[in-house]
Amino acid sequence: MSVLKRLSGKEFVVLAQMHTPKGVNISRLVNDGRRLKGRLDAVLVPDMDNGIMRLPAMAGGLLLQQQGLEAIIGVYCRDKNRMALQADLLAAHVLGLQNLVVMPSADMDLSDHRDAKPVFDLDEVGLLRAIAGLQEGKDLGGSDLDGSPAFTTGCSLATLANGAFEAAFDQVQKQVEAGASFVLTPPVFDIERCTAPLEQLAGLGVPVIAGVFLIKSVAVARYLARNEPGAHISDGLIQRIKKAADREGEAVKIAGETAAALRKITRGVLLQTHGWEHRLPAILDVAGL
Amino acid sequence: MITAERKPLEEILQSVSSFDRILIVGCNECVTVCAAGGRKEVGLLASALNMSMLKAGRPVQLTEHTLERQCDPEYVDELAQLVTGADAILSMACGCGVQELARRYRDKPVLPALNTKFMGAAERPGVWAERCAGCGNCVLGVTGGICPIARCSKRLMNGPCGGSGNGKCEISDEVDCAWQLIWDRLKALGKTDLYEQNMDAKDWRPAGGGGPRRIVREDLTE
Repeated sequence: MSVLKRLSGKEFVVLAQMHTPKGVNISRLVNDGRRLKGRLDAVLVPDMDNGIMRLPAMAGGLLLQQQGLEAIIGVYCRDKNRMALQADLLAAHVLGLQNLVVMPSADMDLSDHRDAKPVFDLDEVGLLRAIAGLQEGKDLGGSDLDGSPAFTTGCSLATLANGAFEAAFDQVQKQVEAGASFVLTPPVFDIERCTAPLEQLAGLGVPVIAGVFLIKSVAVARYLARNEPGAHISDGLIQRIKKAADREGEAVKIAGETAAALRKITRGVLLQTHGWEHRLPAILDVAGL
Repeated sequence: MITAERKPLEEILQSVSSFDRILIVGCNECVTVCAAGGRKEVGLLASALNMSMLKAGRPVQLTEHTLERQCDPEYVDELAQLVTGADAILSMACGCGVQELARRYRDKPVLPALNTKFMGAAERPGVWAERCAGCGNCVLGVTGGICPIARCSKRLMNGPCGGSGNGKCEISDEVDCAWQLIWDRLKALGKTDLYEQNMDAKDWRPAGGGGPRRIVREDLTE
């Protein structure tokens, strides 16, 4: 059963994020995929939206589907004009990649190719409309397609930060109106603080899938607390990892507990382990998923 | 200079339809030179709006004023009293002027009456053409004084594409092939060796790839 059907069937879905390599060494991605087969509903493969030139999400998604997993691929607007975006979407469909998430793109100035020319021919709402149009058999030039693709397309919330959430919510609302059928959120660390915004998102009438981030070290926790106001990482959380005899194990436990708690208030979780995909089974064990 | 063209009258009428007192503000700089938004054009637009609105049975109060330079706070300040008596400002400057008015008069709607087009030069009376893309890292010194970024349809940096024919670009017989112009000029200058040098992939950061651009001259800041 596809992840879409699980979502529409009111089931709780478990996603994990896996990045493609910066190069052609696909062994880690493929091995991670094989290890997790059967324990995840789908794997989200981001593209270059974070500004790192790497193997495209389409290739990563295809490799994972060849291992028997279901893939969701990220699509974004910084690097391709509307022709390239639409053509890639047709390619995705014929390769069996029918789950998409429209992602925001990091500024080119924050990328590893800072001198490249940003495209931004479309924005996220424009891309969602293009996706809807393709599914209705029309491209943005107004031409009829010879065979229409079919996708399940999600969008992502920019922030859960106090003061910035309302604007981010408005953006998501526009994207849902433009065709997004589920919403991914940034990582949730403080369930209590995030419950109200998550409930507000649920009011949009589409499933909300919350991010769960594996805090790999005290340094990462401090960095997030300092630089990501939406993270709402408390001193207590930092101290819990710091004082643990097994800090890695404690971080896994925190991620698992967060995922378990989110099960009560969202329709799914997206586990983000950033290179520590080998810890995903342990997180799932703690979460009881 | 920055070139511009007036928006269609219907669009302007639509944008001001909910206001009774409209201040039309021209600019004495670039848009005067390209006959889009100077004193004369302010007067012409005011007449056209007046006639259209009278015809529609909805007379409005129109005030005309042309600033020396609409993108300069020093000149924009002088509008304060006129702005107080208006429901909306209709700017006939380029986008820089529109935004300066919006920045200065925050509680007043500022609407553009022009479409800002490009940085260009007059080819002949009544014809202006794009000459500079403001890429922030000028290569005219090696391209014979002809810009491949502003004037080549594909912004090619190392010679023409296959669409160059008889000195024209494949998109239109009215568009010169920039690289033909560059070659002809380098030949005339005896500098064809410059053509043989391949340019590296362009750094687009100075062109705005790194976000909105600013110039800070410490020696001039207060």
